[in-house]
Amino acid sequence: MVVSCSKVKGVGIVLVGAPLTAATVDSFREQLLNWQEAEPGIRNYIISLEKVDFMDSAGLGTLIAVLKRVTERGGDMKIACLQKKPRMVFEITRAYKVFEIYDSVEDALRVFA
Amino acid sequence: MIAVLNTASACAWAGELGQTPWPLLPVANRPLLDYWLETCADMGVRSIHVVLGDQSKHIEDFIGDGARWNVEVQYAFARPSEGPLGYLRSITRLWQDGLFYLGGPFFMRRRKAFKSTGVQHLEACRHEADGEVLFLFGRTADEINTLVDGDPGSTRGLEQLHIHAFPLTSVGAYFDLNMKMVLGEFIRYSVAGFSTGDRSSIGYNVNTPPASHLQAPIIIGNDCRFGSMTSVGPNAIVGNHVIVDSYTELVNCLVLPDTYIGRNLEIRNKIISGNRVVSPDDGTMVQIDDSWVVAQNRPAMRTEDFVRYCILWFVSLGMAILQLVPFLVLYPLVRLSRIAKYERPLFHDPRTGYIALPVLRKLVNRKSAVFSLLKALSLDRLPLLLLVLEGRLFLCGQPPMRHPEDDELIKQLPHYYPGVFCYQDYNKDSDRLVDALWYAHSRSLFEDVKILIKAFVSRFLRAGR
Repeated sequence: MVVSCSKVKGVGIVLVGAPLTAATVDSFREQLLNWQEAEPGIRNYIISLEKVDFMDSAGLGTLIAVLKRVTERGGDMKIACLQKKPRMVFEITRAYKVFEIYDSVEDALRVFA
Repeated sequence: MIAVLNTASACAWAGELGQTPWPLLPVANRPLLDYWLETCADMGVRSIHVVLGDQSKHIEDFIGDGARWNVEVQYAFARPSEGPLGYLRSITRLWQDGLFYLGGPFFMRRRKAFKSTGVQHLEACRHEADGEVLFLFGRTADEINTLVDGDPGSTRGLEQLHIHAFPLTSVGAYFDLNMKMVLGEFIRYSVAGFSTGDRSSIGYNVNTPPASHLQAPIIIGNDCRFGSMTSVGPNAIVGNHVIVDSYTELVNCLVLPDTYIGRNLEIRNKIISGNRVVSPDDGTMVQIDDSWVVAQNRPAMRTEDFVRYCILWFVSLGMAILQLVPFLVLYPLVRLSRIAKYERPLFHDPRTGYIALPVLRKLVNRKSAVFSLLKALSLDRLPLLLLVLEGRLFLCGQPPMRHPEDDELIKQLPHYYPGVFCYQDYNKDSDRLVDALWYAHSRSLFEDVKILIKAFVSRFLRAGR
């Protein structure tokens, strides 16, 4: 299972459980879409990358696509628990300017509150 | 007097920066070893004894016969169990007329007051870091014997010459040294191809379009290309043969030679070496497989590696063709009898970090002629052979390391060549780490063919037992 999703205070918490690479992005996208369809009321999301210790451009591209889809529907998406190696990918690709990044899910939740 | 340059010392952090052995890592775009040899030449030492380690080929290719520095070079290998001092004791006859020993990753950092003429007055001294001797100098056998036995010699050490012995104990220290160079120290060591008064140095054949922005202090090597709207500096060192694509910003960073940096990136406080991005703060390294982000712009393979790769690729193709029909017959039978199935656990991958590899796992502990035949003919390895054809695995190599079970093991491997067949296929009792290190050391076409034949024969004879 690449993602496990839950709902806290009306915000979708998406815990990614595997490295986000070309090999895993398809199942990540599919599982997230399925959950979004099952929970149509959720507009805001927090993607927790606590267990993601590696990410390539395919993973980053997928996160950007998810952000685009969420914002098009009037919602917002935050990143939480970004680990050291993916953080370096975020830094060099300037993705940190696109996403709002928080140290923990709780910090990100507080912003949505 | 003889100079002994010990390049065999271990240096774990250098592995994060790629295949370049630590003595050849550039400091302000010149290999560390170049500075050592230059110092020897400055001191008038003509006879150089180079102690080689694992990556001896690279060191020998760089030094050659020493004519570039007007020195005579002899090469020798040290036993891995033998420390630097033990080695020096074993070559006593060579240093009866004086010894200038340099060993381990350290840099002789010249202070402002340094003058090369002061070398004649250097007194016997010794420097060490983390218990390892980095520098040792004595003019007579008695002086050297005393130093080898542990006496530190002159209390001022290299400071007599206004030289700071700068140990390179981590990626951070290496980065720090390079930043000191770019901030103005490099002029104490080299004269740039083109240098301006604002502490910038630009090498030969560097193409910078008017729309690119260079901000001092910077050091740029030879044969570099910058795209439009790139911004380089302040505090950036760009190695030789580097291409920086448009809209990219390089600040406070070190780019090692032969690197391509893609479009619209921001490289700050980082070391970039080929497709590796390294944080100097804690040595964290990310290897990026997307060649449009960062990449090695020169083939990493030597000719013999390329020949071996081509031959083994065609061998893999032949094996895959031969195995395809038997596999398509036997595997459905194995699945129908529910004896085994493929699982895809995560393994470490030298290029992408991790890769899910198909591994045939037995589900029930009972004998099956079909399963035994599948294993005997090594048909279970067919999906892995297809990955060899894709260039994701080697036909013969080290055992693929699992994630996270083998995370500690892989940290101890300077080179990782995951292969379909390995020593363990015919020697079950062997130690995986020792095997992996031995394979990296003795890797050749002959070794690969030997592994392949032995693995096939052994798997065939062992099947069903």
